[in-house]
Amino acid sequence: MKKIILLTAAAGCLTSLSACGGKTSQVTAPDGTLDKCTLRFSWWGGDDRHEATLDAIELWNKRNPDITIEAEYGGWDGWTEKVTTQLSGGTEPDIMQINYDWLVSFSQDGKGFYDLSQLGERIDLSQYDREILQFGEVNGILNGITVSVSGRGLFYNSDTYKQIGAEYPHTWSDLLALGEKFGSEGFYPLDLDAQSGGTAWYLAVVYIQQQTGRQFITLDGELGFTEVDIKAALDFYKELEDNHVIRTVDTRTDEDGTAALYQSPEFINGRIAGVLEWGSSVGKYEMSLSEGKLEAGPLLSDDSGNNTGWMIKPSLLYAISANTQYPDEAAEFMNFMLSDGEAAKLLGTSRGIPASKTAEKSLEESGLLTGLAQENDELLEQLDTMTISPYMELAQMKGFYNTAIEKISYNAVDTADAAHEMYVSIIDYLERIKK
Amino acid sequence: MKKNYRNPIGVKKYTGLLLIMPFIIGFIVFTAYPFISSFLLGLTDYNGIRQMNFIGAENYTRMLTDSGFHNAALVTLKYTVILVPLKLLFSLLTALIMNLEIRGIGIYRTIFYIPSILGSNLAIVIMWQFLFTSEGLANQLLEAVGLAPVGWYGDSAASMGIIILLRLWEFGSTMIIFLNALRDIPKEYYEAAKVDGCGRIRGFFAITLPLLKNVIFLNLVLQIIAAMQEFNAPYMITAGGPLKSTYTLGMLIYDEMFKYHNVGYANGLSWVMFMMIAVIVGIMSKLTGRFREEA
Amino acid sequence: MKKTCIYILLTIGGIIMIYPLLWLVGASFKSNDEIFTSWWFIPESLDFSVYKRAWQTVTDYSMGHYFFNTFAIIIPKTFFAVVSSVLTAYGFARFDFPLKKLFYMLFMGSMFMPAIVTIMPMYLMWSRLGALDTYIPLTIPALFAVEGSFVFMLIQFFKGIPKEYDEAARIDGCNSIQILVHILMPCIQPVIVSISVFTFLWTMNDFLTPLIMISSIEKYPLSLILRLSADSTGNGYEQCKILAMSVIGLIPSITVFALAQKKFISGITAGGLSG
Repeated sequence: MKKIILLTAAAGCLTSLSACGGKTSQVTAPDGTLDKCTLRFSWWGGDDRHEATLDAIELWNKRNPDITIEAEYGGWDGWTEKVTTQLSGGTEPDIMQINYDWLVSFSQDGKGFYDLSQLGERIDLSQYDREILQFGEVNGILNGITVSVSGRGLFYNSDTYKQIGAEYPHTWSDLLALGEKFGSEGFYPLDLDAQSGGTAWYLAVVYIQQQTGRQFITLDGELGFTEVDIKAALDFYKELEDNHVIRTVDTRTDEDGTAALYQSPEFINGRIAGVLEWGSSVGKYEMSLSEGKLEAGPLLSDDSGNNTGWMIKPSLLYAISANTQYPDEAAEFMNFMLSDGEAAKLLGTSRGIPASKTAEKSLEESGLLTGLAQENDELLEQLDTMTISPYMELAQMKGFYNTAIEKISYNAVDTADAAHEMYVSIIDYLERIKK
Repeated sequence: MKKNYRNPIGVKKYTGLLLIMPFIIGFIVFTAYPFISSFLLGLTDYNGIRQMNFIGAENYTRMLTDSGFHNAALVTLKYTVILVPLKLLFSLLTALIMNLEIRGIGIYRTIFYIPSILGSNLAIVIMWQFLFTSEGLANQLLEAVGLAPVGWYGDSAASMGIIILLRLWEFGSTMIIFLNALRDIPKEYYEAAKVDGCGRIRGFFAITLPLLKNVIFLNLVLQIIAAMQEFNAPYMITAGGPLKSTYTLGMLIYDEMFKYHNVGYANGLSWVMFMMIAVIVGIMSKLTGRFREEA
Repeated sequence: MKKTCIYILLTIGGIIMIYPLLWLVGASFKSNDEIFTSWWFIPESLDFSVYKRAWQTVTDYSMGHYFFNTFAIIIPKTFFAVVSSVLTAYGFARFDFPLKKLFYMLFMGSMFMPAIVTIMPMYLMWSRLGALDTYIPLTIPALFAVEGSFVFMLIQFFKGIPKEYDEAARIDGCNSIQILVHILMPCIQPVIVSISVFTFLWTMNDFLTPLIMISSIEKYPLSLILRLSADSTGNGYEQCKILAMSVIGLIPSITVFALAQKKFISGITAGGLSG
């Protein structure tokens, strides 16, 4: 028995060691020289991104035989889990492609990733507007550089709209009016993907932001909406359902199961004639329809022509590990990936339309900037956009939005109760994670 | 008082201990270590990255008022209570057929195991959609026999039904464990029973079932554990919906751990799951009167 | 007459069991929109080049390389799992020893914890031991009877073999290991086959543990390669190629099962699981 107790105690010690000792390593300061080394670079994506990135790495390795890049990549499934575990063990790759909300979930105090302002000589920061650089700042510390900027836009199936004889809506009232017209034929002018984390809530937020000028969640993680705003947003969502503009959650679930909208037979056969999607990932909807069917529509305004409230965010960022041994080399490679003209041509739009001016120009000159993503980008540029807070993108927050939308759609609670629950949950949650 | 160890003559009292050495070492390194560290983490507010704070039993008191947790626990219990008996019954019946020595049975055995090989293949997710969406095959079948169609995915009870169907359909491993046992029953038993004028069905209850006691208990325990820890089926098929009606404890722990970065809370929840399974298996052992005999 | 009924039943059941596989094979030739709109398995057209692309993968290596990796994990793991589980189960089922009750309870308890909570501590441990990005975290645990369900299964089957067998052998001069190898293991051979097959199939499908432990692409097992191209967040991808890869990936599993299935019921019949 004694033995057991001893062994258990020993195991306990081991545990406390590993659980607390993960973050003791010192941050390596830049030394101004480029040494011979091997760097790990990780990203997730699909085949097009893998191929393009591997090509760019090959170009780098040719130019810099002393700094070898080891690629670590995979699909999106499980990738957050992998990176979370690596970060908690301090064994993450030197350079990482990261999601916007990871800045706050992994680097609350700005120390979770390398402070890039120290590497300003290696990374050409003049490539980016001040606003875009700010995306990567946490707690005043530059943690990541935006690879591309994206916003959600409206995309319609032109065939169905022609068949019904309808114009793409310009205002919210246009949109609401379309419901009846489409509904009489059993069609829908638009639908909001329930599975992709709050698409429905996103549209409602835009509507309220346009009306009130208030930002839903501020960049530093404060709730900007009042409870009344939240209720108004939920009411607007309900109005969309009631006017047959979008399917109810129940109908959508019955018809599609849990399939994403771009995999839904109802979307593929044209019965669902519109989607709200990030410009950077609308490609998957295009692939489901035959070519040229999907078109970017106007971003909606109110009846007086006020078209504010639409939002943008960095679709991806690059960050450098706080534990890297080779900050100079890592920064040099990161800069190559971001704003080398040659690399940009190889990378194309596999990570969206580049935020770096050199990279964007390079693509423009090679005629690679076409398609829906670009059209949507141009539409957004004409507007006075707001920046999405990384806090708005957190998985737990998306959970709140989905719960509220689902409950009011099933009429499990009324919008006032749902708004109250959401308001309290958000306040409570934001306070907890910023502690 | 000196304890007597009931071993065959010539066997030393440490022989058994020596034999289970792999388990003991494995337990210390691969089980006790993560268990203890998980228990300690359950007493903190660790988020996977940040320095953690010791918060005592706060995670556990939070569970008392966390309606999401209450719902997940109830869903999981309901799921287990419905699935486990159905799966045991179905696996046993199929195993009886698969045990028949008829031509081509080997091919059928392989075919009936294929669902279990597919695991969580994308094909299954899409097939389930073709089956159970509103225009799907299940509804066409219902309409053909004059019944009203069902909104499978959108209805709480029906969506629970379709993940149970998925797990019933992936019954292969349970069936094989039954098959392993069935082949051990000498055919002479049945022949003797036949002479005594005992029919097939009575033969099953009089001979087969009693001889399968051990294996039924084995499958019961394994299936209870698997069902209580269920994650994959609802994750793939229903995403826990509608209105969290298929959101299991396994999904909640996963989300808290990796999606919401509440590592401390997730570990606390895991210990509650551990206790729930221990209690259920304990009761089952008592009820089947096997526990003492084993230990 | 009775036989016909059984065949009809088996055939209907068989179709239900195998249809998704047929559909999967058919769908590997379909376009994205056809995949999501047609439950019928026969594709509109056949273009085998998708299999060539699938085999090549997007990485520097072909699927053959990743099959090799997977087998480099599965073969030692299966062997380790069988040996360690059999010894442990034998000890529990046939011997009495100090602290047996305690160890048995610890053993049962080890099955009740959800595997997911062990991932992070194990990662940190292997990281400390410098074993990340090797197959050690994926194979070595099997040496220590960590798959509780196997041990539990074997215990139940050992208990079904009459103790008189052991005693007879002991009188003939066999020691404990000889009894296990020559008397008991032949009796439970089908169970050992089952355990090996389960280890094989589960390891083929295992995703999260290798994803977290292995970071070099050239060391990935097949299960990671199968999901390498699927990115629901991005610009969409060719579904058929992913499906074709998973068809290829299923071949070893189905073959192994088909070869092993006879062994589930054959073997030396050793009088009853009474007990």
